[in-house]
Amino acid sequence: MSQEQQTGLLLLGVGGGGCRLAAAVSAAYGGGMCALGVDTDALSNREASAGGMTTLLLGGARLAGHGTGGDAIQGRLAAQDDMQNVGTHLQGVRTVVVTACLGAGTGGGATPEIVKTLHDMGVATVCFVTKPFAFEGEARRSSAERVLPMIEESADSMVVVALDDLFVELGDLSVDAAMRQAEQTLATGITLLWRLVTKPGFIRLDPERLHAMVLKGGNARFCCASAQGQDRAAQAVASLRACRLLGPRDTLSKANALLLGILAGSDLRLAEVGEVMSKVRSQCKPECVLEMGTVLDDAYEGRLDLVAMAFESWTAAAPIAQPGKEAVASAEPPVAEDFPIQPGARKSRAAKHASKLSYGATGRGKFQNVEPTIFHGQDLDIPTFVRRGIQLER
Amino acid sequence: MAIPPIAALEIGTSRTVFCVGETDDNGRVRVTGVGTYPSTGVRKGQITDLAQAGVGVEAAAKQAEKQADVSIWQVLLAISGAHIQTMVNTGVATIRSNDCVVSKEDIEEVMENAQAVQIEADRQVLHTITQSYMVDDQPGIMKPEGMRCKVLTLNVLAVHGLKNRIENAVSVAKGVQLDVTDVAFSGVCAALAVLTPEQRHNGVLLVDLGGGTTNYIAYCNNVISAAGCIAIGGDHVTNDIALAFNIPLNRAEELKRTEGCAMIDPDTSGRRVVLPSDVGFSERLISSKALQTVINARMDETFRVLRSKLDEIGVLPHLGGGVILTGGGAYLRKVCDLGQRVFGLPCRIGLPVNVDGLDAVEQPAALSTAAGLVLYGKMTYEDRRLFSPLRNFLRGVFRR
Repeated sequence: MSQEQQTGLLLLGVGGGGCRLAAAVSAAYGGGMCALGVDTDALSNREASAGGMTTLLLGGARLAGHGTGGDAIQGRLAAQDDMQNVGTHLQGVRTVVVTACLGAGTGGGATPEIVKTLHDMGVATVCFVTKPFAFEGEARRSSAERVLPMIEESADSMVVVALDDLFVELGDLSVDAAMRQAEQTLATGITLLWRLVTKPGFIRLDPERLHAMVLKGGNARFCCASAQGQDRAAQAVASLRACRLLGPRDTLSKANALLLGILAGSDLRLAEVGEVMSKVRSQCKPECVLEMGTVLDDAYEGRLDLVAMAFESWTAAAPIAQPGKEAVASAEPPVAEDFPIQPGARKSRAAKHASKLSYGATGRGKFQNVEPTIFHGQDLDIPTFVRRGIQLER
Repeated sequence: MAIPPIAALEIGTSRTVFCVGETDDNGRVRVTGVGTYPSTGVRKGQITDLAQAGVGVEAAAKQAEKQADVSIWQVLLAISGAHIQTMVNTGVATIRSNDCVVSKEDIEEVMENAQAVQIEADRQVLHTITQSYMVDDQPGIMKPEGMRCKVLTLNVLAVHGLKNRIENAVSVAKGVQLDVTDVAFSGVCAALAVLTPEQRHNGVLLVDLGGGTTNYIAYCNNVISAAGCIAIGGDHVTNDIALAFNIPLNRAEELKRTEGCAMIDPDTSGRRVVLPSDVGFSERLISSKALQTVINARMDETFRVLRSKLDEIGVLPHLGGGVILTGGGAYLRKVCDLGQRVFGLPCRIGLPVNVDGLDAVEQPAALSTAAGLVLYGKMTYEDRRLFSPLRNFLRGVFRR
C-alpha cells in the first residue's frame, strides 16, 4: 500500500467542472494521488483519464454517456444507478475530498446523492464546491443555491467558492490564463491538504487529526496567500487576511477552528513559522482551535504560501464535567475519545442542527396504518421523491 | 368429455375481477363473462376488511354471471401480497432397477420427495413448480425417463404464503356464498395468460403491475427460475401524487390516469395541468414536470427493487425475450421506456393472448391474472382427470 493510500484520503471530482478541478489538483500534487473522476459525459471523462486520473461514467445505461443536458434530476438518478461502482473505489478510504461545480446537471444532481451515500457509509467528506459566474444566468445560480443545502445536510465540511470571487483580480487576463490561474488557486489549497499529510516539512498534520477536524468542520471558508522577499511571513499573513475568498474581513476572528498550511522552500526559518503563527493567532479568538502543518518543497524556494480553512461552525466536544475542576478550555487540542468514529451511524448535519431543507410532505399517506414495505432498510411506503430528496417544480 | 365453465376470482387492491371461461373444441379457453368492481377493504393485495371486500366480490360475481349466463357457486381464487415467498426445494431418489434406467415410478418418487417442502407451520404451499432434473451429476435435464443413472435429483420452486392471509381471502368468498376450490399465486396466473411458448423458451421476465403489489415471474429456458411479489403498486404512485400536491386520493388517481407518465418528458417542461374545481376544491394548476417527476421516481424505484432481487439470483443475463409488463399499471404512459432503461432489456406490454374473448374489453392487460386463473383451472382440471377420474366432478358452475 502506497503512502497516499495509507492516508485514507480520496479526491473525488464530480461532473465536468469537478473532474477538471480534480485533475488540476492531481497534476499539482505530482502523481500518486488517489483521485477519481465521475461524470455522465463520456467525452469529459476521456479528457480527465487522459490526464492520468481514474474515471467512472455515471448513468451509462440511462444517458448513454451524453451527459445530463443540465437536468439535475438526471444527474441524481445517474449517481443512484452507479453508486455501487463508486463504492468499489472506496476501500480503505476514510476521508473523501469532493470537488464539484454547481449549476449544471451532474455537479448539481449527482453531488448531493454521492455525498449522502458516503455519509451513510461512514466516510468523512470535505466538499469544495463552486458557484457559477453571475453572467451564467439566474437559472444556474438558483439551481446551485437549491443544491447547496442538500450537500450541506450530509457533508461533514463544505467550502463554497463563488467563481466571481475567484476571478475578481484576473479580469485582465485571457480566458484561458484566468481559468488556469483560478483552477491553480483552488488546486493549491486542496493539494496542500494532501501534502500536509503525506509530504510534510518538519511539522506534520497526521491523517487522524485531519479526519477529526473535517468530521466536525461544518461550513468552512477557504483562502490562500503568497509572499516573497525579506518580510514574506508578515506579508503572507496580511494578504491571507485580505483574501477575497475568505468573505467578510472578520471571518478569521469569528472562526471556531482554523487549519493552516505553510508551504515554503527549504529556506523556511523557524522564526518565520513562529511569526506566521503568532500573527494568525492574534487574528483569531482565544478559544479558536488552530491546527497547522508545514510542507517544504524546493520549487517554493524564496516563497512562502499560506493556505487556510476557517471552520465557522466547528464545535468542540463538550468537556466532561469534573467536580471541583473548571471546564477544560475548548481551545485545547481535541482528544481521540471526543471523536468516536462509527461508520454508518453518524447523524447527518441536518439531524445535528435543524435542517434548512423541507422536502414537503413526509407522511405515509394512505399507508399510515398498514404493514410497511421495507427494502434495504427503507420504508417504501414513504413517497420516493421524499426519500430521494427531489425538489419538485412548483 | 368437455370441461365445464370455470370461474376465477381476483380480489385486487384497486378492483375485484371475476372471470368465467369455457373451453372450445380446439381446447382454447374463451372468457364468456367478466365482472369488475372497485375494491375496498384491500391494501397491498391483502384483505383488511372482510365485509367491504365481500361487497366488491358479490357485485363482480353478479356481473360475470349475467354476462356468461351461468350460476356460480364455486370459484378459483388468485392470491397476492408481500407474504408470498418462494424457495427452491430439492428431491432425491435412488434408481433401484438393476439396469439403472429411470422409470416413471422413479420420477414420481423424486417428485414426491421434492414436493415435501419444509416450511414454517403458519405457511402454506401454493405451488411446487418443476424446474429441472439432475441425472447423477448432469444438470439441466427436462425429461429423464429412460436415461441411465444411479441418483435422480429434482429441483422444484415452491411458492408459499401465510395460511391466515390466504384464509382471509377465502373467507371473503365464503362470505358471499362462494366455495373456493383452489388458490393460485397471481403471478403464475398472469404468466399463463400472457406468455407464449417462444418467450418462455427464450427467457422472459413478466411483471404484473397491480394496484397494491407488483408480481413477477422469470422464465429461463422454459423453466420458472424466479417468482415473487413486491408490495408496491399503482396505489403507491397515487399516494405519492396526493402527498406531493396535497390533493385527495381520488383526484390523484384521476390525475395519474389522465396525465401520468413514467418518464420525464422534456417537451412538457413548463406545461401545467389543470385540476378542475370540485366540491370543496377550487381549480388548480399543477406542473406537468413535477407530476412526471413524482411518478418517475416511484416507478423507477419499483423497477430497481425488482432488478436488485433478480440480480441477487443472477437471472437477468438469461432473459433473451426481454421484459413483459402486464396488469393495469402497464397502461401508464412510457412505462415500457422506463422498464427498458432500468432493466437494459426490450420491454413491452403483454396482453392475455392465450385466452380468447377479451378483444372487446378495455385494457385487457388488467385482466391477465383473472384470465390466467381460468387457464390454471383448466390445466388442474385436466391433471385431476388424468390422475384421478373419481375427482372429475363439475367445477361448481353449471348452465342456468
